[in-house]
Amino acid sequence: MFSYLLRRILFFVPIVAGVMLLTFALFFMVQSPEAMARRVLGPKATPKAVELWLHNRGYDKPLLINRIPEQPWYDSLFISQMRRLATFDLGSSDVTGRPLAEVFRQGALPSLLLTVPAFLAGLVMSVGLALYLVFIRNAVADFIASLLCVALMSVPVMVYVIFGQYLVAQVFNYFPAFGFQLNGWSTAKFLLLPIALMIVSGLGADVRLFRALFLEELGQDYIRTARAKGVSSAVVLLRHVFKNGLINLITLVVASLPFLIMGSLLLENFFGIPGLGNVLFTAIQLPDFAVVQASVFLGSLLYLGGLLLTDICYAWADPRIRLH
Amino acid sequence: MSIFKIIRRSALLAAVFLCLTLGVGCSNNPYPPPLQENGADGSPWKVRYGALPEDPRSLDPQVCYDSVGKRVIEPVQECLLEYHPFKTDPYELQGCLLEALPERLTGDGGKTTFRCTLKQGILFHNDPCFPGAKGREVVAADVLFAFQRIADPKVECPALSTLQDYVEGLSDAFEAARKSGQFDYSRAISGLQVTGKYTFEIHLTQVYPQLLYWLAMPFTAPVAREAVEYYDGKVHDGIARDLFRFHPVGTGPFQISEWKRNTRIRFVRNPNYRTTTFPTGGWDPTRESELAPLAGRALPLVDEVCMTIFRESIPIFLLFRQGYLDGMGVGKDAFSSLITPSRDLSEKYKERGVSLHRDTEPSTYYMSLNMQDPVLGPNRKLRQALSAAFNTPAYLDIFYNGVPIVAQQLLPPGIAGHKKDLRNPYGYNLEKAKALLAEAGYPNGRDASGKVLELTLDTSGGSADERLGAEFQQRQFEQLGLRVKVVENPFARLMEKLDQGSFQIAAGSGWGADYPDPENFLFLYYSKNIPPAGKNASRYKSPEFDALFDQMATMENGPQREELVSRMNALLAEDVPHILLMHRSLFSLTQSWSPRIQSNPMLEGGLKYAVLDPKSREELQKHWNRKPLWPIGLLLFIFAAATVAGLRAYRST
Repeated sequence: MFSYLLRRILFFVPIVAGVMLLTFALFFMVQSPEAMARRVLGPKATPKAVELWLHNRGYDKPLLINRIPEQPWYDSLFISQMRRLATFDLGSSDVTGRPLAEVFRQGALPSLLLTVPAFLAGLVMSVGLALYLVFIRNAVADFIASLLCVALMSVPVMVYVIFGQYLVAQVFNYFPAFGFQLNGWSTAKFLLLPIALMIVSGLGADVRLFRALFLEELGQDYIRTARAKGVSSAVVLLRHVFKNGLINLITLVVASLPFLIMGSLLLENFFGIPGLGNVLFTAIQLPDFAVVQASVFLGSLLYLGGLLLTDICYAWADPRIRLH
Repeated sequence: MSIFKIIRRSALLAAVFLCLTLGVGCSNNPYPPPLQENGADGSPWKVRYGALPEDPRSLDPQVCYDSVGKRVIEPVQECLLEYHPFKTDPYELQGCLLEALPERLTGDGGKTTFRCTLKQGILFHNDPCFPGAKGREVVAADVLFAFQRIADPKVECPALSTLQDYVEGLSDAFEAARKSGQFDYSRAISGLQVTGKYTFEIHLTQVYPQLLYWLAMPFTAPVAREAVEYYDGKVHDGIARDLFRFHPVGTGPFQISEWKRNTRIRFVRNPNYRTTTFPTGGWDPTRESELAPLAGRALPLVDEVCMTIFRESIPIFLLFRQGYLDGMGVGKDAFSSLITPSRDLSEKYKERGVSLHRDTEPSTYYMSLNMQDPVLGPNRKLRQALSAAFNTPAYLDIFYNGVPIVAQQLLPPGIAGHKKDLRNPYGYNLEKAKALLAEAGYPNGRDASGKVLELTLDTSGGSADERLGAEFQQRQFEQLGLRVKVVENPFARLMEKLDQGSFQIAAGSGWGADYPDPENFLFLYYSKNIPPAGKNASRYKSPEFDALFDQMATMENGPQREELVSRMNALLAEDVPHILLMHRSLFSLTQSWSPRIQSNPMLEGGLKYAVLDPKSREELQKHWNRKPLWPIGLLLFIFAAATVAGLRAYRST
């Protein structure tokens, strides 16, 4: 187990380096550092100002390998940035100069406050509803619920956000239409509506998926055996179907955990939650390569960590799986 | 546990959750409580609520140049001079940190000296960077420090590229620091001579009366060296300090009390503020009864300002309707709900006491025509034909809701030399355009050999709106029978093409005034400003225009200067190095409790003049934010019905 973990963690290094190289190549294939400086400095910037901006941020160095005579080959933009990232120094934003460690630290909590409750509540509700629909499968209520799920899936998230915000916050005045304050329990009044919208927007798809997973499990031989032994439907469902369906659930759930920290772009922008949802989006728009690079670096580490955690959970949930 | 128990308990939990959520959401006010209940004199604490589209990038006065940063820094950092809030035609400068406008002395060879005197007793904000956290007095050495920072390559002052051409020693100081990698703050700049505790002189290498306008910008505002050294972004005694660019220490009427990134910036009244008072005149006589009672009053007129950061425009509209914003700009999303087809405020909002304002920015937008292009450059008639073929009013109606003003000349309203009755001789006239095209050698868009004339139109961006705009522009020219190829460029690529001159027609060009002087617009066509030296993207070269510009640039405003500007305008109108589009205008709204006091576009909000009636706001907010109970009843009913239906369905299986 230990050697497996060590091996997997060592694999992180070439994978992350590869991802970073790809990001670097893609970013600078689309636009040169000069173009980036021009975007940031605006139309009034003089060529001199552009040159100074590039120099102060090291963008006047060769991109990948330094071939300038009498200069070390490794004195290039990519290598110097990778050396910095290797020590987990995320650097500062190219546009504002704000330390990125601070940006991610301050944005992570609001994002998690929005996504974790929505994720957990959504999971419980969708698993519960899916189990219930499996119970009443083929009944009229099951058919109506399936239709409702398809309807929920068909509506774009943007519609939920705009309509929910307008109806609940503007027409009924129940919650603030916008804003955020991290202040004990009163933080909840800013989060309940976006959380509810996040749950509703994902409910249809999740219920349909989990219902299909549980139905598949219901056709297994061991279920028939349990029924033959006279075990009640509820017990079969909760003790056998649910537990054995967990393997599939783990794949979905654990793999999505790293993304929770990255927040939700749409909900955060519409409700004024100062999370990480728009950090990468804004950085690509500006553009701010330092932020893009740091976001991709953290994102890839989190994703690899999530995959590793999934494998560990498999071994925990399914005795047939062993990690070597 | 039976399934019934599970469902019953789930239903109970959900009901509790529902009640809890509605209980917690008892107030829909999105703001934190005001910093105080009452002011020092016992009057109600007045908080003004506004909106910002994003966090400012930098609040370093020597760096701040973007529109958001300028709005945030204006109430915090005062400048040496300021614009009179009511005198806008023409604009008028007055002393702010300086006692009055500087005395100007002209020496040999055009060298000019501006002799300046600071007001005495002006204090920086109380801040931990000063001993005892008490703001110290502003002195001339702080202005010298500001000029040194302009020349420091690490500061990246956008004003450097202009000021180094005029202020003595600025360029040398910059180059020396660039070579050594470190700016030497112990060395003075020869162009800024401190002559006393409150007096200093600015020495220019050539005549440049526009320097006065630069003294009204934060770039030249005094900076306390202690603040820059204190706010170094490092940890001291276990406490992390901000960077100076995020913690300005100025002398303005407000200081920043809280900056929650991505959320809001709160300003509180500066208790030391003594620099200026409400003007005693200068306003339109029709506003006498409204403004006379405020004359001479201490500023600012509100105690706190809370600017919330909105990345989307829809929530701004929602909060404004609820009375939680004191004003808002009218964007595309809410335009049709607020503005009638006759460009008036809709009745519904008039009844609420909302006022509509139309503000025209001192800016001009146009399409650049490349004068060095072998087809367009030598053929003036062709350029005139293109200009006359473009239906600007229709373009502005379709893409800007008809709000901006159709540009008839390069200079926008309010800038000396702008003529209200002047008409662009090559404004939209399709018949004239066709005739001009024939005279240009391309009847019906074809040359003598019958070949269709092909031109390239470079545009920026690739959004749906921008693509539609480009299609419209293409169609305008193609009405003449010629063919136009549209090339979509990312913004930076278009800027590069403009700098390199690798375009024929470039859309999306424009200029917003840095200062309200005709020189700041006409320099765009001065031949010495052809890139990379400057921003003459059209590469317009006219010895006559250049000679007039040289003469006009250093003159004081007056009839003689206006005459020169008129002649330059006439040259541009005839030579057509651009297709004029618009002077950008925006609609904005204010609530009944926060009437607009000033609308000087050279001010960035003019927060110190803002007024507010908090009592009226509170009453209306209560009225507008009543909560109906029927939706809760309906929700509970649906929930109960679904539970019962679910249980029945289970029993029947």
